[in-house]
Amino acid sequence: MSQQVWKLVIVGEEILSKKLIKLIKAAGATGYTVNSAGGEGSRNVRSTGDPIVSHTLSNVKIEVLTGTRELADKIIHEIEAKFYADYSIITYIYQVEALRDHKF
Amino acid sequence: MQAWSELGPIPFNSPSNLIFQNTRGFELSDFFELFIKQIQSPTLGFLIGGIVVASFGSQLAIPDAMYKFITFFLLLKIGLSAGIAIRNSNLTEILLPALGAVLIGILIVLISQFTLARLPGIRFTDAIATGGLFGAVSGSTLAAVLPQLEASKIPFEAWSAALYPFMDIPALVTAIVVASIYTSRKSADASDNVEIWPIIKESLQSSAVTAMLLGVALGILTRPESVYKGFYDLLFRGFLSVLMIIMGMEAAQRMNELRKVAQWFAIYAFIAPLVHGFIGFGVGLLIHKITGFSIGGAVVLAVIAASSSDISGPPTLRAGIPTANPSAYIGASTAIGTPVAIAIGIPLFIGIAQMIGG
Repeated sequence: MSQQVWKLVIVGEEILSKKLIKLIKAAGATGYTVNSAGGEGSRNVRSTGDPIVSHTLSNVKIEVLTGTRELADKIIHEIEAKFYADYSIITYIYQVEALRDHKF
Repeated sequence: MQAWSELGPIPFNSPSNLIFQNTRGFELSDFFELFIKQIQSPTLGFLIGGIVVASFGSQLAIPDAMYKFITFFLLLKIGLSAGIAIRNSNLTEILLPALGAVLIGILIVLISQFTLARLPGIRFTDAIATGGLFGAVSGSTLAAVLPQLEASKIPFEAWSAALYPFMDIPALVTAIVVASIYTSRKSADASDNVEIWPIIKESLQSSAVTAMLLGVALGILTRPESVYKGFYDLLFRGFLSVLMIIMGMEAAQRMNELRKVAQWFAIYAFIAPLVHGFIGFGVGLLIHKITGFSIGGAVVLAVIAASSSDISGPPTLRAGIPTANPSAYIGASTAIGTPVAIAIGIPLFIGIAQMIGG
């Protein structure tokens, strides 16, 4: 009772989370998971994972499961066009096995 | 000595606050004595304590929720006392100081455009975002100056704290508009007009401004005197001292961010709060001459001008000027701007006010 699906992971600035979620839902994804995240990247403008006062330097990790690669690609392309230039954001994708296949 | 009636009623001040302290005159030694006294105030001590423990890499952490609650509480209290004062005062008195606050907010951004933005190796949008953040107002700095004014027995209009959004919002709007005009000119895309209303809406929706406006509304429309006296006023100084520790720790942590950007930001962050404070104090004194706005009110205006936003400004700027590097403006404001405004600005302007008021 399992199904191969695509797991798209977006790690980016917390202030983008509302916009990202709106974009993900509009693209047609059935759900998503959000975690707060910390770390350091090549952009090197946000080296901390500590929660801080303004929250402007905090990060989130958003995971989306999609039934098709096309849907995942659509989300990635939209994120790329809108946010890659100015924001700290990274996306990656891999294939996983979903245990509730009727969901996707 | 100025007649008290000119200043309008101020609720909840102890009788001792109603007396101007009579100092002997404009002697410099007096000024330094007052300045040193201000530096020893508990507010500052807690701030420095926070900086010291964080610099030594202490594991001490104050929960994020605590910080959010305290800033909400302090700004609600300030809003309540401002609202009660507005209810008991003539609205026309507020017009000129509010207009002054708006103009200072815009002027601060324009100053950064012609100073910081012109320096070598500084990106225009980084400089304008920093100017916008320094024009915007810090709730913690505002909360710090009010009890110090009371302790120094300098009377001020309680509604003067409500000048906060009048400077905060115009500064952020100006910064975002100036940066957007610059970016669209550069990309030769003139059709890209800046919409001002969403920026104002976002500023009004920010947690700090909302808490204060809620307090102002409750102070004007309801009669919250009993809960104000029995709860908000009682806990204010205690919570403020905790907030000062948090701001100190935050300042020390953000130094790392600031080290990654040009040193000009650190220099600007040190000088700007004092220059802006003097502009605010000058405007306050001018209004004092015209309408009888109190000297204490001029100190509040000066400190609002000297302060730089820590909470509400950064997310608005990050969304409004996405090309600007947040490490530059947040580092400059939180690591240097706020400590300078609290540690040097507040004692300085209170000291000057005591000399003039005497």
